[in-house]
Amino acid sequence: MEKNKVGKTILYMILGLYAVTTLVPFLWALSSSFKTLQEIVSGSMSFIPKNFTLENYKQIFIEQEHFPRWMFNSLFIAGVGTFLNLIFNSMAGYALARLTFPGKKALFIIILGVLMIPAQVTMIPNYLILKELGWLNSYQGMIVPGMINATYIFMMRQFFINFPKELEEAAEIDGLSKFGTFFRVVLPLAKPALAAQSIFIFMGFWNDFMRPLIVITDIEMFTLPLGLNTFKGQFVSYWNYIMAASMVFTLPVLLLYAFFNRYFIKGISFTGGK
Amino acid sequence: MKSKKWLSALGVTSLLMAGVLSGCSSDDASSNKGNGSTEDGEKIEVSLAGWGGNPTEEKLLKQTLDDFEKKHPDIDVKYEVISEQYMDVMKTRLVGGEAADVFYLDAFEAPALIETGVIQPLDEFITDDFDVEDFEKPLAEAFVVDGKTYGFPKDYSTLALFYNKKMLAEAGVEVPKTMEEFREAAKKLTKDGVYGFGVAPELARMYWLAESQGGEVVKDNKANFASSEVVDALQPIIEMHNLDKTAVEPKEVGVNWGGEIFGQEKAAMVIEGNWAIPFLADTFPDVEYGTAELPAVDGKKSTMAYSVAYVMNAQSEKKEAAWKLISYLTGKEGMKTWTSKGYALPTRKSVAAELGYDQDELRTALVAGASYATVWSKGTNLPIIMNNFNNQFLSAFLGQADLADALKEAEKQANSEIDAK
Amino acid sequence: MNKKFSRKALRETGQGYTFMFPALIVLGLFIIGPIFYTIFLSFHKVQLLGNATFDFVAFDNFKRILEDTRAKIALWNTFKYVVIVVPCQTFLALILAATLNAGLKGQTFFRIVYFLPTLTSSAVLTLIFMWMYNKDGLINNILDFIGLPTYNFLGDPAIALNAIMFMNIWSTAPFFMVIYLAALQDIPESLYEAAKLDGANVLQRFWKITVPNLRPVTSFVVIMGIIGTFQLFDQSYIFSAGSGGPDNSTLTVVLLVYQYAFKTLGTMGYAAALAFLLAFVILVATLLQRKFSKEESLY
Repeated sequence: MEKNKVGKTILYMILGLYAVTTLVPFLWALSSSFKTLQEIVSGSMSFIPKNFTLENYKQIFIEQEHFPRWMFNSLFIAGVGTFLNLIFNSMAGYALARLTFPGKKALFIIILGVLMIPAQVTMIPNYLILKELGWLNSYQGMIVPGMINATYIFMMRQFFINFPKELEEAAEIDGLSKFGTFFRVVLPLAKPALAAQSIFIFMGFWNDFMRPLIVITDIEMFTLPLGLNTFKGQFVSYWNYIMAASMVFTLPVLLLYAFFNRYFIKGISFTGGK
Repeated sequence: MKSKKWLSALGVTSLLMAGVLSGCSSDDASSNKGNGSTEDGEKIEVSLAGWGGNPTEEKLLKQTLDDFEKKHPDIDVKYEVISEQYMDVMKTRLVGGEAADVFYLDAFEAPALIETGVIQPLDEFITDDFDVEDFEKPLAEAFVVDGKTYGFPKDYSTLALFYNKKMLAEAGVEVPKTMEEFREAAKKLTKDGVYGFGVAPELARMYWLAESQGGEVVKDNKANFASSEVVDALQPIIEMHNLDKTAVEPKEVGVNWGGEIFGQEKAAMVIEGNWAIPFLADTFPDVEYGTAELPAVDGKKSTMAYSVAYVMNAQSEKKEAAWKLISYLTGKEGMKTWTSKGYALPTRKSVAAELGYDQDELRTALVAGASYATVWSKGTNLPIIMNNFNNQFLSAFLGQADLADALKEAEKQANSEIDAK
Repeated sequence: MNKKFSRKALRETGQGYTFMFPALIVLGLFIIGPIFYTIFLSFHKVQLLGNATFDFVAFDNFKRILEDTRAKIALWNTFKYVVIVVPCQTFLALILAATLNAGLKGQTFFRIVYFLPTLTSSAVLTLIFMWMYNKDGLINNILDFIGLPTYNFLGDPAIALNAIMFMNIWSTAPFFMVIYLAALQDIPESLYEAAKLDGANVLQRFWKITVPNLRPVTSFVVIMGIIGTFQLFDQSYIFSAGSGGPDNSTLTVVLLVYQYAFKTLGTMGYAAALAFLLAFVILVATLLQRKFSKEESLY
């Protein structure tokens, strides 16, 4: 028993120490967002603002009339993009895991290979294609090219490989088509995996910087990262504003995560059958 | 299953919404501006791209554009801000033929971009009353290639020595006029955690010094900065950092640039441009400072001039309207509005005389420099040359390499990149 | 082969491609298409701007890599980065997951806290870190407080890459931790019970049961880690304002690709060649990893 206690204390110490390491940067940013510029410039190292102020938050919304619109654009693009990803990635992952068809192996290798080419080099051809489609400065242009993701096709394949076959066989005996089986039986059961995937994908869209930078010209169509950068350019050295804007930018994702948290651990399963 | 229907309904609606919204947003943009005028006939929309600035600058530009639209009710200006990686985005859009009709171009990037043919020569549009002669010559010439004019500088700044009045007085130091005095002054000013000189160890800011002893940084469109004249000219800066310990780079004391190091009073002197004046007024209003012309080397004055022009996209389909915009923005009236607050210095002599910046206490030195400044623009390969210089110069500055060796290495690399092009 | 079977095979082929259809369209149009275009570019000297020119130069772009000092520096930096970051983040993720999984109270709290960095955009993180890395910033203050030397994290070539490494390990480890956590749920409790009865202590159980059972996941984590770290870009870009400085110390291959594709005109073909070299290196690294771990269950 004694030994157990010591072990537990050590574990808590590791956990606690790392939690502090993780939290400090965020708390620091958060506290700075409530400080006045004078206090920041003075080099104060206090986590508790001397003159607590909400002025920074007010100011960023006043100075940037477009802030709410950017927020909407980001949420919309990330929301729709995530939804489409979930469906299409699982469909592709399912086909790669469960169906036999010629060219399957080649397709799988291509999907893995795609991960190895840095996106920076395909940026210009990508842009040219969007232009041909007339999708510049549009929501489609932001969503469609990212509506599938090779990493998560790979991940979904791993998930479906471990999926119990019996359910599908039963569904097929009941006369359901492959699509019926997939949408009515397989997909609902994959919910936890989808939930986990959705956060990663949402993050991808939410944070995407290069694509909107090139594709979007209209300030009304900006996403938050673009807005944040414009902001950064306008307020060089105004760390109080920059940190406030960063916090505004981070909050929606945290809420989303809090909401989906319980699906998380159940969701991602990679290990082979036991 | 219920959930499936729900999901697919959501999918369809969201896609529809996307279409509607993207439609909406463009309608909004045009209708909003349309309200202002009651003119008949079609409006021409001219797009203008720039990198934005601080809120005051943005307001000034808006005002200038509003004035323009009032004068030309048939033209709407659509202003785009490209916040980051401005040139990279511009180049991509130019490749795609989707770039703005009129956009900012830094003199430093100009020669390379002009060479590709994407910039419209403006000579055919220029009329007599635009008065090209009015521009400060060296600044205007940065955008002239083979006798053709590709843009007109909207504003400029030179470099000047910013000094903290209080610190100089306390240390009993006169404002240094020569490089020798400067180095001595920095020694006296370095104390109590304050450095004499806050320096930006990069080519754009070192160029004036690098060429002060007859060396050429760029020769025949290739890097030539390892020559002994250039190395000797730059050596004092290295020594100030590593021997005298009187010079410091902003990052070494935890700030991003000279304006901050100076404002936070961590350095008594910096070499900065006009942009630092409004920054200091906004952020550090309590710092008392003065400006002076840069210290002379061997009795010769020198400084840098940085300039940005409005240029026209060669693929623009609205060249007449685009020219109207450029000629207003760089014309006497537009430039007066734009430079009225002193955020930027006017490139037209007549505007400068009218606004009287040469009489302005803080700006006298900056304006004086215009007559002998070197414009930060040297052929098509300057970006490569600069990148390699900056990388290696810094390691010499930090004492990790010998300056001559570092620059030799950097020059070799720069020229091999240029040769391979 | 009887008729019925081949009809079934035909039907399944149809189904397979229907399921893959959306993915194939997007992949083809926005990923494979551009990749082919890039392959084409890598054998040409290209000026895309203005009057676009394409001169076929065969393998010149690839040969040029051999003479490019900065390409070598970039490769070396990237290599260092991968070799240090991948094991560290994998190991850290594993430890964190195992600790979290020990059945302690407050797990959920720790899990949410640990996941914060993954949920924050790299742009915001880099901003926060740049600010903490300031010479007068929080980290130096802490170091100073506990009596350690302080550093010029952003400006010193000897330190800058390490600063990025630290930040990345910190922000990526939790992502993989979640994956490990999920996998840990799948290890049967009975294995641990049996080991306990045999008198194995915590560490022994960790090495003898947890680690071997997590092999397939580790393989996934390492592959994803390798691919991700080889493509390091955002952080070096923001830290160095795109230059890869100070003194090329934060120059990575992808940053170099970016510089040649966007900063200098007329080197698009060379940028493409560099990108393919990188893809090849990643491929080799992945294959090596597979060979070493002898793990077949993932592919």
